[in-house]
Amino acid sequence: MKIHALQIQDAAISGTAKKSRGPFLTPGARCALPVIVLLLLGFAAPLTAVIAYSFAEPHSFNVFSSFTFANYAEIFNTENTVWMSFLWSLSLAAVTVLILSVIAYPIAYGMVYVFGRWSGLVSILFVFPLFISENVRLYGWVLFFIKNGVFDGTLNLLGGSDAPEVLYSPGIILFGMIYTYLPYMLFPLVLGLSLLPRDVVDAAKDLGASRYQVWREIELPLAMPGFMIGLLLTFVLAVGAIAESKVLGGQSVIVLTHDIEVSFTYAQNWPLGSALAVLITLITGGLTLFMLFKLDLDRVLGRK
Amino acid sequence: MSETALMGESRQKLLLDLVGVRKTFDGFNAVERIDLSVMEGEFFTIVGPSGSGKTTLLRMLAGMDQPSDGAIYLRGESLNDMPANKRPTCLVFQSLALFPHMTVGQNIEFALKMRKIAPAARKARALELMRVVRLPETYYSKNVMKCSGGEKQRVALARAFAYDPEILLFDEPLSALDYKLRKTLEKELKDLHRETGKTFIYITHSLEEAMVMSDRIGVMRDGRLVQVGTPEEIYTKPSDKFVSEFMGEVNIVQVRPDGAGRYRSEDLAGSFTVNAPPSTDGYVVIRPEFLRFLASPSDADNHLTGRVHNEYSLGSRVQYQVRVGERMFLVEQPRRQSFGGGDVTIGWDAADAIFVAE
Amino acid sequence: MVEFSRRTVLQMLGAGGAMAAASTGFARNAFAAGRDKEMNILCWEGYNSAQVLDPFRTEFGATVKAESLTNDPTMVNRLRAGETKVWDLINLNNPWARKLMWPEKLIKPLDQEVFQPYFAKMLPEFKAPFHWAMSDDGKDLLGMAQRFGPYSFVVNTDKVSRKMAEDEGWDLFNDKAIVGRYGVQESDDWNVFDMFLVAGIDPFKVHSEAEMATFLATAKRIYKGAKLIGDMASLNQALISGEIDLYLTGGTYSVSPARADGYPNLRGITPLRGPMNGKGGVMWIEVTSTVNNPNLSPLAPKFLQYVQRPEVAHTVAFAEGTFNPVSQMGNPECFKLFTKDELEAIQWDSLSEEMARSVAYDIVPDYEKALDLLNAAKRERG
Repeated sequence: MKIHALQIQDAAISGTAKKSRGPFLTPGARCALPVIVLLLLGFAAPLTAVIAYSFAEPHSFNVFSSFTFANYAEIFNTENTVWMSFLWSLSLAAVTVLILSVIAYPIAYGMVYVFGRWSGLVSILFVFPLFISENVRLYGWVLFFIKNGVFDGTLNLLGGSDAPEVLYSPGIILFGMIYTYLPYMLFPLVLGLSLLPRDVVDAAKDLGASRYQVWREIELPLAMPGFMIGLLLTFVLAVGAIAESKVLGGQSVIVLTHDIEVSFTYAQNWPLGSALAVLITLITGGLTLFMLFKLDLDRVLGRK
Repeated sequence: MSETALMGESRQKLLLDLVGVRKTFDGFNAVERIDLSVMEGEFFTIVGPSGSGKTTLLRMLAGMDQPSDGAIYLRGESLNDMPANKRPTCLVFQSLALFPHMTVGQNIEFALKMRKIAPAARKARALELMRVVRLPETYYSKNVMKCSGGEKQRVALARAFAYDPEILLFDEPLSALDYKLRKTLEKELKDLHRETGKTFIYITHSLEEAMVMSDRIGVMRDGRLVQVGTPEEIYTKPSDKFVSEFMGEVNIVQVRPDGAGRYRSEDLAGSFTVNAPPSTDGYVVIRPEFLRFLASPSDADNHLTGRVHNEYSLGSRVQYQVRVGERMFLVEQPRRQSFGGGDVTIGWDAADAIFVAE
Repeated sequence: MVEFSRRTVLQMLGAGGAMAAASTGFARNAFAAGRDKEMNILCWEGYNSAQVLDPFRTEFGATVKAESLTNDPTMVNRLRAGETKVWDLINLNNPWARKLMWPEKLIKPLDQEVFQPYFAKMLPEFKAPFHWAMSDDGKDLLGMAQRFGPYSFVVNTDKVSRKMAEDEGWDLFNDKAIVGRYGVQESDDWNVFDMFLVAGIDPFKVHSEAEMATFLATAKRIYKGAKLIGDMASLNQALISGEIDLYLTGGTYSVSPARADGYPNLRGITPLRGPMNGKGGVMWIEVTSTVNNPNLSPLAPKFLQYVQRPEVAHTVAFAEGTFNPVSQMGNPECFKLFTKDELEAIQWDSLSEEMARSVAYDIVPDYEKALDLLNAAKRERG
């Protein structure tokens, strides 16, 4: 296979170049080429543009033609309160991920082990809302929670009492984020748990492990790859969340994505917005790499 | 049941007692009303084709499945409500079910860790068990997934021993191994059984494996135990055609009484002398080694005439395929003989054949 | 096998993310040649609707692409970032053409012989030479006017009477009694004007340090006391449900859909007086200009003529999304197309007096600084 590919390679270059050189592209590399090109165009190119913009003069479009740290200096200026937005975005995301893992684990466990033939229906119930725009679903929740809305009206009908005011608060933002990102935590976890051999769990029980010990010693470590994917996916998504804060939260707190949006729109300051985007990318990217290194997939799977 | 026969050593005590144990999955009876007693220190093998319900029976013993009906007693006390992690049983899985994220040592120590035994004591016990199952000490911190098939087998064994169960349950643990390794491990298992004095309950679809290792064998078919006995009893006195066929290559002739004290076959010419209750339809089972070539038809109680179709060397013996009419018979001889290619006469004595009723 | 699937899942997730990133940033290509059958419009919502565009497409056999955005600075930025090659028409609020896009050579002037006569048929406020459509030196016609409206704040008249709201004007928001009873619309350029106005300062001038400090204090107070910051749909919903009684930055443009839906008690308010030479209201007038595209579609001026037709102007006024008065209502042929309900939705009864009490949207000289303060104030909500 390899030899055959090299022959083709040789034939291709024989007209132009020296014959006796090593293969500059293995068959694998050539197969991966379209994907690499796609990634470069679709991923690296916009990212490069954003990074370049972050070093451009503030309030200008002089990308690649000016170089300054002024945007970063502005962010780290002690008088600038944008750190509050970083803090809100990161802590909302952290709490979301934490709560999600507690909620999603039992559901995933149920889908893999308990619900049996119903787990198909349950997963459809979780997937189905994803076909509806996130904003529409969030507006739906507004109509549910708003004064004289579904919740309030139902409570009035039943007990005559008013529903507690939940809209336009950080709590409802958290609720919205948990609601929105649950599937992204759930399905990697389901995958992780379903790859866990049934026999191994039975063996652990048979060797005297209690339910808790089985969970600690077997299920959790073996489901960890799926769990990690879910954690990282939801964290990254949650850091970038904006609709929950805007639609449900009435911007009761300002998240970083809002600052980035304002920079790119009303403030006409693309360089500053880019610098903010680069910083949050660095933070989430660093955290992701750290977690992946810390929890090496190969080691988790016992292949090293 | 022939328990008296195998209880030659009277010190054996009843350990496990199954009374009317039944298991139903979605209306399908996987195991139907099994009554069985297993003695302390016994190596008991359940043998049967796949789907015969033997794994389900084993899982009920281990506590992983609950009987739909009936009860399992251990020294007279019901195990029904005792979960797997509390039972003094330990199962060695067909898949071995080793913990892939742990080292050899961690796998073996698992049961001890669950009992919160101190790490130093755990390690000492693990190393001891590794010696017992003939694993080198250096394997202690080796990743279990890097071990070979035979080594994994030993890890699984050591892990089960570490739990210190009264009864070790085996679910075809050798089926995935190659022939030579399987033979070696069969003997080792037998040795381990003797050395440890534990009760082994072993499942296999290979009667050969069962014969080598077991004190007693139970043959299962369609969720029922069709015969329980020592290997010899099973071998010499199969309770029915199924068991006799399961024993390996045998010659079976369906016979009917001819009314004159002899029996005749539908598809073979002639009538035969059979040691059987009078007027019973059934099968004559003749092992290949009890069929022999006759110089004259009167040299045996029964005879047939055919032609040698093929011959195979089995190493120590030679097996011949002899065609009689439409049927093929197997004859085994200690030494090779040569035949001219003409008709040969084969025959057997009535005492060497087994009659099983229909 | 297990290894393969676990790893590929991770990789696929990564690739999926990259694809999503790629697809949102897809590049639009305008072809250099043969543009007489295609045209691209960058506009506020309404002009991009099928009701407006489809008859034009049919009549001229044209391929029309329109993208709608909901703030001026972003659209101006798109041209500045090099998209003059892409767009043919740009539809913005009044000051940008005259004060920014024309000096920066982002737009082209219109043929006055063709377009000046249209102003004669418009409402009296738009008679030629219409200030915002002309260049500073008065020589060039930079765009055509159509939709407009007063845009100060909106109240639920069941809770706050129109008379009281007009009379108190921006001072209403200085009243501690309404803390937690109002919302703020997330249109920050307008909010800059409004925070100045609540502070009693004219927004459209250079501000002193002290004025900026007052501005910041006011913005902090207003944001802190706001029940919510939201888009106009959320704010109208909150007004209807009773979560809030009023919201700032709002007017015909934002409240007309709710009024048309059967809530005439919601109403845009223009204060009777204020700090802008006595005037208290702000209004906007859209000016649509031809982009300085090196290969401008010949359809662009045709489209500007097309929307002057009475029936098309009426369609523009009631295109999906928001409902607004149009300058062509000065032409009786056009005006007669408006039903009583439609006139009610756009507050026709008080339109001219509200316009008279308003100054036009303009550029705040120290906007950048003010916006930074505004966003800092917003952050202190949480």
